[in-house]
Amino acid sequence: MRRPPRTPAQEIIAHADSSLLEIVDLVLNKGVTLQGEVILGVAGVDLIYLRLNALLCAADKVLPSGGRK
Amino acid sequence: MIGLYAVAIGAPRQALGAQGEPVRIVARSGLEAVCGEAPPALSAEALRAHEAAVRRIADESQACLPARFGASAADEDELLEALGAREQELREALELVRGREQMNLRVHGAAAAPTPEGGPGTRYLEGRRRATRLPELDPLRSSLSAVIRAERVEPHEQPGLIASVYHLIDRGAAADYRRAVESAALDGIRLSLSGPWPPWSFAPELSP
Repeated sequence: MRRPPRTPAQEIIAHADSSLLEIVDLVLNKGVTLQGEVILGVAGVDLIYLRLNALLCAADKVLPSGGRK
Repeated sequence: MIGLYAVAIGAPRQALGAQGEPVRIVARSGLEAVCGEAPPALSAEALRAHEAAVRRIADESQACLPARFGASAADEDELLEALGAREQELREALELVRGREQMNLRVHGAAAAPTPEGGPGTRYLEGRRRATRLPELDPLRSSLSAVIRAERVEPHEQPGLIASVYHLIDRGAAADYRRAVESAALDGIRLSLSGPWPPWSFAPELSP
């Protein structure tokens, strides 16, 4: 049986390395916004918000020097 | 529909947006909105491309406030209206970030145990105060006092991840900052560092 295709948000969560997680935190959580509803309208962003802290925590365990550029 | 990359002062006249398009500048009373194509659908590539475009713009600007992925307006009039309504706040933020960039610290460890004195309300407030003050970082703050221009602390509920701390530093000071973080002896916490980044965490949000 084939699994349903992953959403873009699930793809990001599944493949995020520490550098992408840093980018996700800045680009989706920070910065000037014009209209809140536009941001929330980006499909799947709420899922990423929910998982981001856990991923940041886990990324550090995998890569002790995680996030170095 | 137009997408917003940044609000800036002294933005580059020629730069490429996230989709390879030349950006254009919509200016009003000295504030420059750096715009391009409407934002694409969410993907890891789109997020990386947005960050890279903002970085290209920030590197060439005197002062630059990055715009969040997805920030967009129907047309230039709507964009100017949204920015005009918060002009003072944007100007103050632009002055703060002028010539500066940001370092990200993720603070790992176990959150300090709450103080036993006082009632539940007092303990809660003390916990909140500690969480946003993060006294564990004081030794680092004092060794970096010449470098840190501003700080934002975001406490986390996640076990093992105490907080994210964002420091604003002068452009070019990242190597000094990194050395100080790597040699800091901190009790019971561990730091992971990234940067320099454009000053994402020092941009005011325009949504109410």
